[in-house]
Amino acid sequence: MNKFTLQLRVKHSEGALVRILGVTRRRRFDLLHLTVDTTEDGHFLDVQMTVQADRAENTLVRQIEKLEDVSLVEVVEPDLAATERRAARSTAR
Amino acid sequence: MKGAEFLVKALEHEGVEIIFGYPGGAIMPVYDALLDSKIRHILVRHEQAAALAADGYARATGKVGVCMATSGPGATNLVTGIANAYMDSVPMVAITGQVATSLMGTDAFQEVDIFGITLPVVKHSFLAKTAAELPRIVHEAFRIARSGRPGPVLIDLPKDIANTVAEYEFHEDDASEEIADPSKESITRALALMRESRNPVVYAGGGIGMGNALDEFRAFIETTRIPVVATLKGLGALPTTHEFAMGMMGMHGTRTANHAVQTCDLLLCVGARFDDRATGRLNAFAPNAKVIHLDVDRAEVGKLRRADVPVIGNLRHALKALTCKLGNIEPWRRECTASKETHAWDYAAPGTEVYAPGFLKSLSDRAGDDSIVACDVGQHQMWVAQHFHFNRPSQHLSSGGLGTMGYGLPAAIGAQLAFPNATVINVSGDGSIMMNLQELATLRRYDLPVKIVLFDNRALGMVRQWQELFHDKRYSEVDLSDNPDFCRVAESMGIPAFRVEDRADVSGAIDRLLAEPGPVLAHVLIHQEANVWPIVGPGRSNSEMLHQHEVAREVAP
Repeated sequence: MNKFTLQLRVKHSEGALVRILGVTRRRRFDLLHLTVDTTEDGHFLDVQMTVQADRAENTLVRQIEKLEDVSLVEVVEPDLAATERRAARSTAR
Repeated sequence: MKGAEFLVKALEHEGVEIIFGYPGGAIMPVYDALLDSKIRHILVRHEQAAALAADGYARATGKVGVCMATSGPGATNLVTGIANAYMDSVPMVAITGQVATSLMGTDAFQEVDIFGITLPVVKHSFLAKTAAELPRIVHEAFRIARSGRPGPVLIDLPKDIANTVAEYEFHEDDASEEIADPSKESITRALALMRESRNPVVYAGGGIGMGNALDEFRAFIETTRIPVVATLKGLGALPTTHEFAMGMMGMHGTRTANHAVQTCDLLLCVGARFDDRATGRLNAFAPNAKVIHLDVDRAEVGKLRRADVPVIGNLRHALKALTCKLGNIEPWRRECTASKETHAWDYAAPGTEVYAPGFLKSLSDRAGDDSIVACDVGQHQMWVAQHFHFNRPSQHLSSGGLGTMGYGLPAAIGAQLAFPNATVINVSGDGSIMMNLQELATLRRYDLPVKIVLFDNRALGMVRQWQELFHDKRYSEVDLSDNPDFCRVAESMGIPAFRVEDRADVSGAIDRLLAEPGPVLAHVLIHQEANVWPIVGPGRSNSEMLHQHEVAREVAP
């Protein structure tokens, strides 16, 4: 199994997030973790997602790159600190 | 001015001449606006046919096909045609009416989330939220549909937006449609592999025609003299009668084409995507070959087969840059050409019934170099691919990726409207024709002189063939011996029709087909057990082709 994390920036347009998640599922990648934040100006979404599959990273990266509203796709080290902060926040609630 | 008028004006601005569609409640404002437009609307009898006709129009012309339907069932009926365009990278804009914004999300009458339903089968989609943004949306939709690797784009238009009065603001384009050139480094590496190779093969796909790269491709082949095998959609990239054209590869490919690929040391894949019907068992495909993959879509390179050298970008420029004389391949090319002659199709089949491959060969010889063939899906589709001659890919309208039965008649309608004086032939089967039979009424309404060749084996022939060969003759739901009388069906819709039962009558039948000034249907009876040969069985390598004489048969042919 190949597990990796993607950092995406996508225009905050109709269905943008569903499109990304749809491509991920259709190309047979399992979603393990997802965070989405709206940029301050409200025009974009910053998406971080961790996925796993038997397939190579690029088979997903290149499909997501093709989406019209996606302006950035990077394979990154997962932001563990942020993940932990979120986990703590959700526990606190 | 209303939103609906914006839409129509924007379509006119994009140069749209024909829309295929069907009216209904939510799209009515647009139909009202169409009355004052010079755009021609073609009323089909089922929305699926609107989308498939737009697809046929687009493939035949290279322009963006446009289809339109109302919300709910009108929109869902378009989906098969949209998916068909998506799988074969056909430029299309589909416009759907939607219930009013205030009703969206309330399960209103004829409300369906067509935006959501079509997400997996569109290149992009828009939901109009204001009238003012419609000119921009239309412009973007056309740009996206035709640029790079083409595909379908959906515009969902709520009825209240279509009725909103606003100021029309003409939208000027800013986005570039230029496709980047391949890197110099990739060209250098590709040239090095080409010069090393002794047994190269070009694997030609649909991207050559769609990328407008026919001239560059032919110059590349004439200079390098590399033998060419074609995918279903690549047929005609090189004229199929050309000395260097080895025919179609894959499941129903020629022995010469498959053998060349399986033994080559270098495979140049040009605008193709290693589809399973072309490659057979992937891990046994072209086992000795290094791969150079030319494509405009980076995502296709390395998706199924690793490329030793990816050449990503503008196909025309890539082919130009790779055009050079090669020193070492002449013995190999002669071997391929000789194999093609040795294994040429034999049309002398036993029996007196109509032999479909022979019928199609004769039809092809007489239909003229500019005829357009739209086929349905199944055995007859493969016979067309094997036996018809094509001088360019846009003459061959065939549902490759999705394999949509019912494609042929609507696609022929789209092509005939684009080229009123061309000979447009729909080759169909008794299974497929029934999937969009209602469009005979459209042929009559617009008096489109489409020639229909309906091969009738009283069965779902391709499924029957698989059940015979791969399921121990356990025939399951393939019998169509209760077909209607197709001649009477056609005649009842105002289409002259005649029946052909004997091989001796084929020549006269072709005369009659081609001489008829208007639409006509030839109902051609063929043997129920006629099969498509050769065939590569499911899960098998392209080295393991089954030929007719190798398979014990109780009944000929």
